[in-house]
Amino acid sequence: MIRTTAVPRPIRVGAAAASVAGLALLAGCAGQTTSGSTDAGTSSQNPPASADAGSGSSTGSYKDGTYTADGSYQTPETVEKITVTLTLKDSAVTDVEVTGDPQARETRQYQADFIGGIKNEVVGKKLDDLSVDKVGGSSLTSGGFNAAVKEIRTEASS
Amino acid sequence: MTSVAPLVHSWTFEAIGTVWRIEAASPLDDGVREQITGAIARFDSEWSRFRADSLVRRLGGEGGAVPAPADAVAMLDAYDALDTATAGAVNPLVGEALARRGYDADYSLVDRGPVSAPRNWRELITWSPDALSLSEPALLDVGALGKGRLADLVLDLVPDGPAVVDAGGDIAVRGVTQRVALEHPYDASRAIGVWSVTDAALCASAINRRAWGDGLHHVLDARTGQPVRRYAATWAAASDAMTADAVATALFFDGGPRLAAEWGAEWVRMGTDGSVEWSPRCEAELFS
Repeated sequence: MIRTTAVPRPIRVGAAAASVAGLALLAGCAGQTTSGSTDAGTSSQNPPASADAGSGSSTGSYKDGTYTADGSYQTPETVEKITVTLTLKDSAVTDVEVTGDPQARETRQYQADFIGGIKNEVVGKKLDDLSVDKVGGSSLTSGGFNAAVKEIRTEASS
Repeated sequence: MTSVAPLVHSWTFEAIGTVWRIEAASPLDDGVREQITGAIARFDSEWSRFRADSLVRRLGGEGGAVPAPADAVAMLDAYDALDTATAGAVNPLVGEALARRGYDADYSLVDRGPVSAPRNWRELITWSPDALSLSEPALLDVGALGKGRLADLVLDLVPDGPAVVDAGGDIAVRGVTQRVALEHPYDASRAIGVWSVTDAALCASAINRRAWGDGLHHVLDARTGQPVRRYAATWAAASDAMTADAVATALFFDGGPRLAAEWGAEWVRMGTDGSVEWSPRCEAELFS
């Protein structure tokens, strides 16, 4: 769980909100806990009930309460699902909570905790020049698989 | 090299579609070899998606309940964690999705399009030490960790003392240190680094092998039936090979690094853009 109550918020929260129409309110208000901004988009006005993303009406002001919306969005490899809970008081956001698994690696906290480092390019060295006991790689493939690939190549080139 | 000195006995053989090599300080006599051959045959007859007479093929055709294979609970519990960590990208019912992309029992390699694996697999499969059951026919595929599990089983059957089991690139090490080259996914004559492994297992996964037409390969996202494209190769080290194998699979997806941290595994992965990432306490030597 990532809990945010003020800036700086995780990058993922902003990215998520921007990708989910129903979470426009979050994009507009996160981090503006005292601004009283009320011009954000859609939200449910039935606190504290849970509402689907994108439902509800917008009248420019919001009742006090806790609002919940579920969202999902596609990353290159994943479908991310999150639940965003907003607490509103006097039309201002006083608390933002993002739950679920915003696991994408671009989250700063995630990088700090789970990823040690990154190099943009690793060229490598010739195996012949190394003194090693073993080679760790994708397993050698079976005879059946290799034969099938060869057959397809033959058909494709004939 | 001193680490190799005690491993004077070795045995190379082919099984489950790959070349195995066992090196050990103790003799690998006929009795030991029979036990190992038997264990692999049993595992294959239970879990191979490629054998028409296997248990998973029977469950795939008919569903129903069977006495649980010895490894069912360990592997399916791990899949439970994998699914949670990767938000459903890793799923033990991905067998049909793989088969439809052409990676089927006949190696047809004919792509019939993407299908997702059943998201609710935990409701379809029931597993306990006693029974394994599928409420409807569905094709199990334990490819995310099965070979690692089998490497662990084989190492357990090697008599006490230093030993190394190399299951075609997935390596389980006991009582010695092995320097393992990390094969470059785009150039098998090169290594991107070297990792010294002592009393642990190092497993790898890559999209360069078991690959066929039109960008298809054997690492599918179970949610979409599409091959992964962000990472080209992954390596993971853990106390046992099943864990290392599972983490190596998870690293193709978001959530993999977090799962590695939970399970105490270290890792390296290479993106399809050539960049390389590693875990916070990874001790692999990488060549830039």
